[in-house]
Amino acid sequence: MPLNLVVCLKQIPNPDLQFQIAPDGKDIRRDALNYKLNGADEYALEEAVRLKEKNGGRVVAVTLGPKRTEQMLREALAKGADEAVRIAWDDPAAFDAGKNARLLAAAVRTLPHDLVLTGVQSDDYVNSATGGLVAGILGLAHASVVTRVAVQGSRVEVACELEGGLQRVYTLPLPALLSIQFGANTPRYAPLPAIMKAARQPIKELGPAALGLSNWEAVPLPYAFGIRGLSPPTAKGHAEMIAGSVEEQAKRFAQVLREKGFVRR
Amino acid sequence: MAGGVLIVAEHLERRIAPSTLELIATARPLSRALGDERNARIAVLGHGVREIASHLAGYTLDVLLLDHPALAEYTGDGYVQALRGTVESTKPRVILVAHTSQGYDFAPALAGTMDLPLVTNCLAVDLEGDRLVATRRLLNEKVQAQVEIRSDRPIVVTMRPGAVKAMGPARGMMTVTEVPVTLDPSSIRETFVRLERPQVQDIDLSTADIIVSAGRGIQKKENLALVEEFAKAIGGVVGASRPLTDMDWLPKTRQVGQSGKTVRPKLYVACGISGAMQHVAGMKDAGLIVAINTDPTAPIFEVAHVGFIADALKLLPATLKELKA
Ligand SMILES: Cc1cc2nc3c(=O)[nH]c(=O)nc-3n(C[C@H](O)[C@H](O)[C@H](O)COP(=O)(O)OP(=O)(O)OC[C@H]3O[C@@H](n4cnc5c(N)ncnc54)[C@H](O)[C@@H]3O)c2cc1C
Ligand SMILES: Nc1ncnc2c1ncn2[C@@H]1O[C@H](COP(=O)(O)O)[C@@H](O)[C@H]1O
Repeated sequence: MPLNLVVCLKQIPNPDLQFQIAPDGKDIRRDALNYKLNGADEYALEEAVRLKEKNGGRVVAVTLGPKRTEQMLREALAKGADEAVRIAWDDPAAFDAGKNARLLAAAVRTLPHDLVLTGVQSDDYVNSATGGLVAGILGLAHASVVTRVAVQGSRVEVACELEGGLQRVYTLPLPALLSIQFGANTPRYAPLPAIMKAARQPIKELGPAALGLSNWEAVPLPYAFGIRGLSPPTAKGHAEMIAGSVEEQAKRFAQVLREKGFVRR
Repeated sequence: MAGGVLIVAEHLERRIAPSTLELIATARPLSRALGDERNARIAVLGHGVREIASHLAGYTLDVLLLDHPALAEYTGDGYVQALRGTVESTKPRVILVAHTSQGYDFAPALAGTMDLPLVTNCLAVDLEGDRLVATRRLLNEKVQAQVEIRSDRPIVVTMRPGAVKAMGPARGMMTVTEVPVTLDPSSIRETFVRLERPQVQDIDLSTADIIVSAGRGIQKKENLALVEEFAKAIGGVVGASRPLTDMDWLPKTRQVGQSGKTVRPKLYVACGISGAMQHVAGMKDAGLIVAINTDPTAPIFEVAHVGFIADALKLLPATLKELKA
């Protein structure tokens, strides 16, 4: 059975960077960041493309984010997505997972969908909330932290990871939403011709009207959300930090190992 | 008694998840802030789990037991449908769920289905008047955020495991109230098939005294040889962060963390590991933690006892040389 697949992709600042807080304390400084596709979403995208290759069908990549996300969407097209959709709400921070999920759900509603895939978490905000929220809002069967997916007719079998390496296996009926875990597959690289082609492909933009809203602030929410402030984390730790040249550090390291009795001499 | 705090217990194979006891500790000051320290309940969903309910009653919380054959195994639909009635009748101000794999599934599904506010992965929560203030960590633990939510609906909160200290049982026992569960089993769409366990071959990391773990910072599979050589020199074994086992650089048995092994060696050396919460969950109780990382803001330095801001690929060989000298 050909599948209508929708995969939700988020563009995040590279988390290996160091971050500064903006003067108003409500966001990080975003002027000098480089952005990339969220880690878990690479696996979600790969899973969607593999499901298409196996079962036939189409993959639509959806994101919510500013214009800069087009680069990520083109990468998704080059890796096998057939269509790219951007919910054109340009808030660079978009901290409220509940609002994001309601916008994503509204967009998914406009697309045919047998399977909706998300990542297990966004590495910038680590909510692990968006997939489950979208499922709840749309009334889709769902499974989280999925490491294995097999479509069997009108059902899908999934393995869901628990703590300590345990997995629970379920089957669920389509349409369903799955949040995909790191390592579920081996993501591919985009071949050069596909990258060239994706550069010319159109990206569909959804404005508020397309989602049934008068404006971006008109999303009905059962709460009011606010950012009180961002700060550098209050250091819990008191590690002895060892600076110096590598040789000096090595001397100290060896000394620590000797002092604590891990090596004899 | 309406309002207050409702905790959702987590259990597997008749064992209570340790995170549930942490939720009890989180609930206490919240219910106090709401004006009645005793106005907190804990819901146990399952089948044949009265023993778990009775045990939890020893923490002097009212226990609601929601027993139904269709709840014998966790399913998102089953749990959401079963708890819905309890949420509607007890109208809690806050619903506490652990930020575990099951919590990732259940908390947002409940919030999405019942149109409730949700804030996840919190280190701390507080109530200030009509606001719930949550402390979270963003961007690889490098930024702390305080967010606030105002709502007249129950607010679903997930707490990061290990963020607060678990509570021991108190004196006295509270009651276990069996709550009738209205549940149509045919409307539960997820069908549980089986529980799979990791096969244990290879070495058992959890018994090792010295573990030298490699993370993505070692950059290339070939560099594992260096980590192995170092581990051998100090009588240890090699562990890893998840990306390395995902990429098959090492077998899954070597993975330390939430979804891998929990270890408690005398010495843990983290080489090129950022210190994501899921990794730290598996090694934070090691006797001596040494971290080597090029990024001075890496969160691994928060749990380390000794930290080297260094290129592991340079510091390990240099230290080997020192040890041989
Ligand atoms: C449900 C779930 C369960 C998970 N379970 C686990 C688990 O059990 N175990 C686990 O580990 N992860 C787990 N993860 C993944 C976790 O979130 C992180 O993605 C992972 O721990 C990151 O691994 P890392 O530190 O090796 O890589 P990164 O986060 O990429 O960090 C690499 C680090 O190396 C440093 N570095 C770079 N070059 C060098 C160098 N030359 N020398 C020294 N340092 C260098 C960088 O500064 C960086 O800090 C889980 C995730 C989820 C969602
Ligand atoms: N702005 C967004 N655009 C598209 N997908 C998103 C967005 N935010 C979150 N997601 C999806 O939801 C998953 C979980 O994110 P989170 O709930 O923030 O941890 C991500 O891996 C993405 O698949």
